[in-house]
Amino acid sequence: MRRVPAAVAVLPACMIIVALFGGALVGAVRTSLEPGPAGLAGEVSLDAWRAILTDPAFLDSLLFTSWITLASTAISMIVAVGLAHLIRGRRRALWALFGLPVPVPHLLVAVVVVLWIGPAGVVDRLAGALPFELIRDRAGLGIMLVYVLKEAPFLTLLIVAVWGPEVRAREEAAATMGAGPLQRLRWVVWPRIAAPLSFGSLIVAAFVFGSFEVPLVVGPTYPKTLAVLALDAARTSELDGQARSASILLVTAAVTIVCALLLVRRARADE
Amino acid sequence: MIRRTRPARIGAWAVALAVSVPFVILLLQSFVESWRAPAVLPQRFGLRAWSIVLAEGTAARPALVNSALVALATTTIALFLAWPAARALGESRLRRPTLVVVVMTLPVLVPPYAVGTGLAEWFIRLGLVDSLSALILAHMVYVLPYVFLLLASGFSREVESLEEAARAMGAGTVHRLRFVTIPAIAPSLALAALMGFLVSWGQYGTSLSVGGGIAMLPVVLVPFVQADPPVAAALGSLFLVPAVFALIVASRQDRMN
Repeated sequence: MRRVPAAVAVLPACMIIVALFGGALVGAVRTSLEPGPAGLAGEVSLDAWRAILTDPAFLDSLLFTSWITLASTAISMIVAVGLAHLIRGRRRALWALFGLPVPVPHLLVAVVVVLWIGPAGVVDRLAGALPFELIRDRAGLGIMLVYVLKEAPFLTLLIVAVWGPEVRAREEAAATMGAGPLQRLRWVVWPRIAAPLSFGSLIVAAFVFGSFEVPLVVGPTYPKTLAVLALDAARTSELDGQARSASILLVTAAVTIVCALLLVRRARADE
Repeated sequence: MIRRTRPARIGAWAVALAVSVPFVILLLQSFVESWRAPAVLPQRFGLRAWSIVLAEGTAARPALVNSALVALATTTIALFLAWPAARALGESRLRRPTLVVVVMTLPVLVPPYAVGTGLAEWFIRLGLVDSLSALILAHMVYVLPYVFLLLASGFSREVESLEEAARAMGAGTVHRLRFVTIPAIAPSLALAALMGFLVSWGQYGTSLSVGGGIAMLPVVLVPFVQADPPVAAALGSLFLVPAVFALIVASRQDRMN
């Protein structure tokens, strides 16, 4: 059959992505360089960048966003390994129930969390007022809960896919030779699940780092995640609001892109 | 020996139910009319929240239509754009597959609100801002990568040789597509379409930044979470429908394999 060369076949999809994604980055850079109140139109200025880098609210937000990213990703990974151990080899119906949060939008998980453990939520009524605040708390526990609920099942399914019968056979063999559960996890199971788990965790971490609608619904008023801080900046009446907003968003984009590229390089080095 | 105990099985089902039941109860919560604290059960159920959601003149109805339209359009266009690329990747004809995959998937990891804000800068200049086309373009950044990867998982050298055989027997392009290619990749095609729809359906950051003036379901939903929880539950139930549908399709496909 006459075939379009592969390099030509990938062009439509790649060009659309490069144009839209590249265009978005260029657009954000351009917005971030627009002059503030003192500047003239058409002038390029670093004022917005200077303003956010010296703003304590930005630094708090960067720390807060990094904290919820690391914590939610780590907890999701641990929970996922436990859940995968619990459900592997069981019925498909069970998997389907587990998998329910996977296709559900993040926002909806946040709505469900508020309806259950928010003020006057279901848990409040069943157990009386909770002794601690989980929604709009300063540590970001509500945000973390949403991401663990949504992403732990996703990671679980990734792990279960590679934790098949042949791994179980090797676990059995290790067990008869006297390996305890932790040793089996470290030396038999981990080498199999490490690659999909770290790949999945990168995706999870990137989602949490850019989290926007979830903290809008369950996050504290201070500190804010970077994306929410950018929304606030864009909505102020100050003239440099748009430029500051774009600068903050470029920082979040840069962090996710650099992390992703580092991981790709490591993955290729491992090959 | 490693034993799998009865408590472990009960535990597994308990966790599975704990994960899924809150989503089922969401629908119930949308019928709550009056629920004064500290009562454990609502005092009265009714259709108030749904009458607000379905009423003429509220943002909810256009939001539902817009979200569905944008998701359908984005997914359809993405399927056409991704088809040749997915084919080249699936048939291992690319010289540098990793590069193509990285270029195609990198945008998914970048926060949607950042991409949307950057695109809005252009859309304002082009007079596209606050239009359905702006939303479709912005959603495309997130939909196309998923559609591409899932579609590629359907194509293979085997499918290619089936097509060759059909051609040798005199089947034309349309017949090959209709009777060979599409049936052969049907599961991946269905999954790609479903995933594309879901990704667009759930977009919040991009929708807010490029289509601020257009009602989209997630954007309309957020303020209700605090202002009127039963209405949020009703909108949330509608928001949930495609995900449940996807799950049913995915688990049925799973059973067939």
